[in-house]
Amino acid sequence: MSLLRVLHAELLKLKRTLAFRVIFVAPLLVALLQFFVLWKTRQFGPEFKLWETLSKATLSVWAIFMMPLLVTLETALINGIEHSDNHWKHIFALPVRRHTVYLAKIIVVQALIAASTLILCLLSVLVGLVSMRIRPELANAGPVPFGWISKQALLVWLAAWLIISIHTWVSIRWSSFTVALGVGIGGTFFALFAASASLGKYYPWLLPLNVFTDERLVAALVLGVAGGVVAAVAGCMELARRDVA
Amino acid sequence: MPEYLIETRGLTRRFGKQLAVDDVNLMVPEAGVYGFLGPNGAGKTTAIRMLLGLCRPNAGEVHLFGLPLAANRLSLLRRVGALVESPSLYPHLTGRENLEVTRRVLGAPPELIDPALRTTKLIKDANRRVREYSLGMRQRLGLAMALLTKPELLILDEPTNGLDPAGIHEMRDMIRRLPAEFGVTVFLSSHLLSEVEQIASHIGIIHEGRLLFQGALSELQADQQAQLTLGVNDADQALHALTAAGWSVQRRADGFLAVSAKTSEEAVRVNKLLVEQHIEVFHLSLARASLEDIFLTLTGERRAA
Repeated sequence: MSLLRVLHAELLKLKRTLAFRVIFVAPLLVALLQFFVLWKTRQFGPEFKLWETLSKATLSVWAIFMMPLLVTLETALINGIEHSDNHWKHIFALPVRRHTVYLAKIIVVQALIAASTLILCLLSVLVGLVSMRIRPELANAGPVPFGWISKQALLVWLAAWLIISIHTWVSIRWSSFTVALGVGIGGTFFALFAASASLGKYYPWLLPLNVFTDERLVAALVLGVAGGVVAAVAGCMELARRDVA
Repeated sequence: MPEYLIETRGLTRRFGKQLAVDDVNLMVPEAGVYGFLGPNGAGKTTAIRMLLGLCRPNAGEVHLFGLPLAANRLSLLRRVGALVESPSLYPHLTGRENLEVTRRVLGAPPELIDPALRTTKLIKDANRRVREYSLGMRQRLGLAMALLTKPELLILDEPTNGLDPAGIHEMRDMIRRLPAEFGVTVFLSSHLLSEVEQIASHIGIIHEGRLLFQGALSELQADQQAQLTLGVNDADQALHALTAAGWSVQRRADGFLAVSAKTSEEAVRVNKLLVEQHIEVFHLSLARASLEDIFLTLTGERRAA
């Protein structure tokens, strides 16, 4: 199948790239932050629940801040290498459909974000386990809630499909790195303000965080997944029509 | 087998009000090298983009291998290799990995990579990153990518652009050998006349979007009057003798005679006639208008019109 062939080629392109390394760096930064927070906390209240607090804090920081920036960076990098030497003219003169190429680009970013989110989960468990060692008062935190963490991570990832589709289109449509970064930083920045507003329920860059709120969960998933698919199809159709410069 | 590998009918493309390609009917026969010639900005690259389906014509259509491109893009492009302008390479990957990316997309067998590297003399540098490649090596890698699946038709847009003389020479040699070695038809664009003159069997000349000439190279040159220039000790007597023998002769301002002889055989006959009549010949040259002259005449006339 041609999609598998194009995906296979995409994997090779990732070799030795920043796009690949950053999927480790981004979760590491978040995990380190959480680690220092736990390590430096003066006193834990009697009600403090290590796993619940830790995994929620880690995934929230990820959902609102680090993951949207990672999506921005990944799409800009992955499509940037195609812009840099005008690879589009080469790719589109090959016997493959433009849709296939576009779809492969989206799938690669989705996979990288999924991998990065998984790494984040593992690191946050590690942070918890280390904290139990160095802070004896946390030693009785109980078993790691793998089920809850996996479920929340999956929801965060699904809700991110829409921004992945938006960023894929932006970074293919405009060759400039600045445009891609501008959209990503702008989107993330406004998300910080939109969080409390009622419209925040529908704001693309807030959807991954919204999965933590019961009344916003369904909207976040529907918009994230269905919106992601619709945006992917729309972007793909737009790209397929355009002349290749 | 269709008569032409590439055939365009009334191919037209506008950018705003400007006609980049204007009613172009390309006819590229199988085998050999077809030189698509024109000054920068003549519409060569736009035409090539339409041949590959990268941009759409406003009017007219492209046929490859006798079939319309619009309806058969994928199956036709499978038989075409292309290098449009500068090659598209991933500098962080090695030469071999760059070929591998294209190979994976095409689903071609891995055994094709080494021959492509060997043909383009890159086998020794195959495992170096493209970042370290010279411009000439990059261009050859681009050619290797185009050749990877042994296409029947190779479309090269300005393949020697930006190369140093040694690189140009190397690239030209490589392209010249392709039709015989691989049975591939090469369609090559260039703004360098000397380039095309040396390797093409057929040419098309495009200027300001219009195709001014198309045909065999020999046809174009045959169209042009060659001229014999003579230097003799007695111009009056020579003029008389040659005119009597049926040649058309003109006396030039510099004292030399211009005779209507076109071929070397005719030149020999003119010389023999003069010598037999005891007229001394100290200069004899047969000049054929170079492609450059022809090209300048064609495009110059166009500009004046």
